[in-house]
Amino acid sequence: MLEVRELHVFRGATHVLKGISLDVRAGEMAALIGANGAGKSTTLQTLSGLLRPRSGTAAFRGTSGPVDLTRAAPERIVGEGLVQSPEGRQIFHSLSVAENLAMGAYLRTDRNEVRRTLERVHDLFPILKERASAAGGTLSGGEQMMLAIGRALLAQPRLLLLDEPSLGLAPQMIERIFDVIATLKQQGTTILLVEQNAAMALDIADRAYVLENGVITLSGTGPELAGNDRVRRAYLGMAQ
Amino acid sequence: MSQYVFQQIINGLALGSLYALVAIGFSMIYGIVRLINFAHGDLVMIGAFTTLGLVAYGVPWPLILMFVLLVGALAGMTIEATVFRPMRGAQQVTGFIATLAVSIVIQNTGLMILSGQPRNFLFPAFMRQRVQLGSVSASLTDLTIIGLTVALIALLLVIVYRTRLGAAMRATADNLTAARLMGIAVNRTILTAFAIGSALAAAAGLLWGGKFGQIDPLLGFAPGLKAFIACVIGGVGSIGGAMLGGYLLGLAEVLFVGLLPPQFAGYRDVFVFTLLIVILLLKPSGLFVRHVEERA
Repeated sequence: MLEVRELHVFRGATHVLKGISLDVRAGEMAALIGANGAGKSTTLQTLSGLLRPRSGTAAFRGTSGPVDLTRAAPERIVGEGLVQSPEGRQIFHSLSVAENLAMGAYLRTDRNEVRRTLERVHDLFPILKERASAAGGTLSGGEQMMLAIGRALLAQPRLLLLDEPSLGLAPQMIERIFDVIATLKQQGTTILLVEQNAAMALDIADRAYVLENGVITLSGTGPELAGNDRVRRAYLGMAQ
Repeated sequence: MSQYVFQQIINGLALGSLYALVAIGFSMIYGIVRLINFAHGDLVMIGAFTTLGLVAYGVPWPLILMFVLLVGALAGMTIEATVFRPMRGAQQVTGFIATLAVSIVIQNTGLMILSGQPRNFLFPAFMRQRVQLGSVSASLTDLTIIGLTVALIALLLVIVYRTRLGAAMRATADNLTAARLMGIAVNRTILTAFAIGSALAAAAGLLWGGKFGQIDPLLGFAPGLKAFIACVIGGVGSIGGAMLGGYLLGLAEVLFVGLLPPQFAGYRDVFVFTLLIVILLLKPSGLFVRHVEERA
């Protein structure tokens, strides 16, 4: 579904991604783990068309056929079904919860379909229904995360990019969010999850990549990486 | 109410309407691209001279209004697409200076083409009659200014708060990156904000000419500055704040002059700017901005 090859991305003069390659197959959950500053968010921003790579390819099988993510405009990428829930949630603070969700469905035209998706999101996160008319900025951190994921789901993603859903949340809330992510996966959503919280990510990922200083240094299935000595030392905080 | 006080209030509301029309566009543009647009007032001048030209050709007034809105929208979109868009992402001060440059270019182009000689600008004769409202009366010009402004603002609020396009504009103003990630074509949204804001300023130009009777190519400076002040009073970036700020400013200016002893009339701007300073000291974010508590 997503095939990235030898992607080089610069931010200003800084060479952030130094030729990364990764795959996400239909129906699976892939995880990209790594420390702060390794280039995880840069990867997702490039896939969403917000940053342009210097070289390399990123191909996505969209709703209407193959999409070259290195050239397509962000709105086209969303329309083709590659949707991101960005780092730091980035909800619209001054818009109501309902309006935030409606923005997720901005490009969709079939109102009945949108209503069905909205019901599904309300089932996953009942609080978003209760607080539909509250301004997004008045929600708690955890509620904002639910709103960010719900908003992304309303775009009907074929591939959902989740950037650090655990960031800044209380442990209990992280559990709840990851439960929902697992549910989404069961329901057949393909997901690329970016996380610093490697333990949680590897626990539910089918396939995982370790990104260090802009280079993919390890890849394998979730359990493989969770059993890898280097990963255990560097990311899972375990002694040998 | 005495005729005198009533007349002052109508005067203040008419002036406030003009400020509000200009300030709303100013505020919309700031809200969406964080640009203090000092060329915004010059759209008032463009609107006024467009009106004058069309009057000379005998075009009927309702059509003139439509045309002025259109010319304003096109002018605003042209400025955004050719000057401001290439500077997006540059430092804020760069954009600010660019708006000053655009303003100077527009004013001097106006001076070259139109000459600096002020021209008479007249609404049709029947607009100068007075309307009797019970024991008091008001000029039809002032009432038209107020009525048309209220109608335009109502239309604007419907667009911004009741349509998909308006929601996209508010989302873009709120968080540009997130808006792009939702599939909103932000350049188009920004262009729309410039079109709407500039159309309102041009409409203000039509009314400005009618109220003051004379126009010249440099007339945009005053409304531009007053719009900025109105926005600061009401809260920069908020449409409602700009609107209320505009009316407050207009009323304050007129009432200071009208109700204080005549020897203070020359100090009108002193009072207005003192008011501005007091408001900034007491409520730096603006009078009419509801503070939404944000959590981390």
